[in-house]
Amino acid sequence: MFSRIGRWINDRWPLDALIRLGLEEEMIGGTSYAYVFGSAVFLTFVLQVVTGIWQLFYFVPSIDHAYDSLSYLRLQVAFGWLIHGLHHWGADAMIILVGLHMSRVFIWGAYKHPRQLTWLIGVGLLIFTLALGFTGPVLPWSQLGYWEAEVGTSMAGTVPLIGQFIERLLRAGADLGELTLSRFYVLHVAILPGILLLFIGPHLIAFRKFGMSGPWDEAKRKSIGPFWPDQVFKDTIFFSLIFVILVGLSAYASPPFPGPLDLLATSYTPKPEWYFFFLYQSLKAFHAKLEPIGTVGIPLFVTLLLLFLPFLDRSSERNPARRPVAMIGYFIFILWVIVLGIVGYYSKPGASTSVATKALSVTTAPTAKMPASAQRGSELFHSLGCIGCHQIHGQGGTIGPDLSSEVLGGKSHQWLTTQIRDPKKHDPNTIMPALSLASDQQVNDVADFLLTLEPVQKSGQTPSPKPSSAKTPMAQETSSAGQQKVSGPHGLPGPAASMIGNADLGSITFKNICQACHGPQGAGNVPNPGSDDGTVPPLNPIDPHLSSKNAQTFAENIGRIIQHGSIPEGPHPQLDMLPFGDDHTLTQPEIANVEAYVLKLNGLGRAQLVHPGISPHLFFWLVLAAFTIVFGGLGIGLARKKNS
Amino acid sequence: MNEMQSGEHGGSTRRSFLKLFTGTLSSLFALVLGIPLVGTLVGPIYRTKKLHWAKVAGIDSLPLGQPVKLSWVDQKVDAFVQEQVELDVWAIKHSTTEVTVFSPICPHLGCQYSWHPDKQEFICPCHSSIYSITGKVLGGPSPRHLDTLPTKLENGVLYVEWERFEAGIPQKIRV
Repeated sequence: MFSRIGRWINDRWPLDALIRLGLEEEMIGGTSYAYVFGSAVFLTFVLQVVTGIWQLFYFVPSIDHAYDSLSYLRLQVAFGWLIHGLHHWGADAMIILVGLHMSRVFIWGAYKHPRQLTWLIGVGLLIFTLALGFTGPVLPWSQLGYWEAEVGTSMAGTVPLIGQFIERLLRAGADLGELTLSRFYVLHVAILPGILLLFIGPHLIAFRKFGMSGPWDEAKRKSIGPFWPDQVFKDTIFFSLIFVILVGLSAYASPPFPGPLDLLATSYTPKPEWYFFFLYQSLKAFHAKLEPIGTVGIPLFVTLLLLFLPFLDRSSERNPARRPVAMIGYFIFILWVIVLGIVGYYSKPGASTSVATKALSVTTAPTAKMPASAQRGSELFHSLGCIGCHQIHGQGGTIGPDLSSEVLGGKSHQWLTTQIRDPKKHDPNTIMPALSLASDQQVNDVADFLLTLEPVQKSGQTPSPKPSSAKTPMAQETSSAGQQKVSGPHGLPGPAASMIGNADLGSITFKNICQACHGPQGAGNVPNPGSDDGTVPPLNPIDPHLSSKNAQTFAENIGRIIQHGSIPEGPHPQLDMLPFGDDHTLTQPEIANVEAYVLKLNGLGRAQLVHPGISPHLFFWLVLAAFTIVFGGLGIGLARKKNS
Repeated sequence: MNEMQSGEHGGSTRRSFLKLFTGTLSSLFALVLGIPLVGTLVGPIYRTKKLHWAKVAGIDSLPLGQPVKLSWVDQKVDAFVQEQVELDVWAIKHSTTEVTVFSPICPHLGCQYSWHPDKQEFICPCHSSIYSITGKVLGGPSPRHLDTLPTKLENGVLYVEWERFEAGIPQKIRV
């Protein structure tokens, strides 16, 4: 029946001719597994297109919804974890395969006459593939991708003469914003794939015109092998292997959730994707005025070298053993990419050994004159938890006085150390806890730091030094415009509860803000005199009324308290929980990260699969079994046919 | 597609076997990818909305036996979008432990009805459906009585599960 349909079509359309064009080739020297990389790149690209388009059913390219819509796809849509995972790991695979393919072509000398155009188009394909690899990670607008766009567009800005224009064009303005995301989105899903397809056609046609370059050894060139089915068979085997690996990675190495974008956070080191690490690391050698050499010069040099390769190397010799310059050049390049890539992976530029927080960058005056002890004291101010109750320059809690106001004016070093060690000596009614955990050295350092603070005159803002002897009730019943808005622990969970935060980033915020009251890793045991419990509630393990096996519910439960604060039960508790969301002490992304961390402390991942369709692990083993059975069964059949 | 004949019998058998192998693997690959692709589109379309208890108001200050309109701000979830919507209900406090809550939506065609204290009746302005204080249909085109909503009382605070029901039919069916 199919042959009849085939004949009907062939009488009206050149179906057979096209298939023959695609599949008929007598490969000189026979087929080989060395030749599989080209088709592997192509098939991986097709996979990227399919999984990419499919994600568009759910992904929304606006800064409000990008991160959450992608989280929704990955956690709440059946097989969403797989589609996104394949796309994420497929991108890495495609870059690696491109590298392998170009290496194979280079070693075989298949860029030489008459295949110069095939090579040139191929270099174009490389550039646009890397461009796809650059624009893709930006789209989720997460704490990871955003910074890649920030740095990448800044680098584009270093191009002489036209750099600023290019930077503004990519950003759709001076800064990154809504329109930047739109541009990166259109580039990534429409323009760049379209260009790639435009290039792939001529690349394949050029390739098919001359066929595989084949072995350089004349003796080996005597035999021939058919492209179809022999080479296609090998290509299929190789790609099946890649596909199963990609499924495995999607199931067992799900891409991280970097947390929603938080423009204020400084505790994060922006880095590009791994395939740019060698460039990233090389850039560090070029400072100030020399920077364009790194950002523009190096990529330009490499690109031009690749483009001019067939014209620089015009000899017809293809045996690698007789092309020392070419092969040494190749190895140097590979060494550069790999070694600097590894160095780039491990480097942590600019990160201080202690905890870097947003408050740190604001409170420490940017002078080199601050003594080392005060520097340490500034870090201790955070790590010991002082910032949980005291503000400095607008950052910190509001239970105690603002220490950048006049309240510390004229106080001696002695006074400060006594206040820290034994506050009740100055005021018997104070609620400030005595800092018994710290060493004398640490207390001295904090005192030194406090002495460097210059009170800031905030115009229009009433300095709010709350007398330390008064208990300040923190939770408020807010009612706005007649609406019965319920606040306190039963208020709305806040926007943060619906964002998938990052527990590692959350642990940093936790150390700075929450640890002072809830203890290291939420272990509790911090006294709260006057409360029924006697201590601040531990978070690890947390009150069973708040925890839940459902990550979303758990996050909402604690979200209500983090956003709106809470007064513990008791006659007069000394400490109560601030409304960190309502008074903007923490940003919503920070709260999302803290929620993820608290869940982690209680053994639950925030990025919980709600509707996976099928368990990822099970899916992988089924796929592996299916491919193994097909391989095994057909492999046995093939062996039998060989022997018959 | 024409089978290419090659000289030996073993050769062409091998060729056809390679074709079979390649074809089977490709089909397997298409299946393994195809099922999830369909799954992502079909998976979410039959889900029902999750219900939750919304904290509405304390009932201590409510008058006994008289319908009162209570409002609260609820979080509506639409896929990955959170919206704050104001919702309201008619509540009648019978005692400190018993409260009846009516959906404010008329079961006839979906308008918001009001309470008329002078007549002691709920009256819908759209098509004049009339209901008693117990929600029973007294007149007008409504096919069923007022829809009650699930409630619970905890420490003097009223919680309501917000639901919507299909309009215009005699049965009370959740949408």
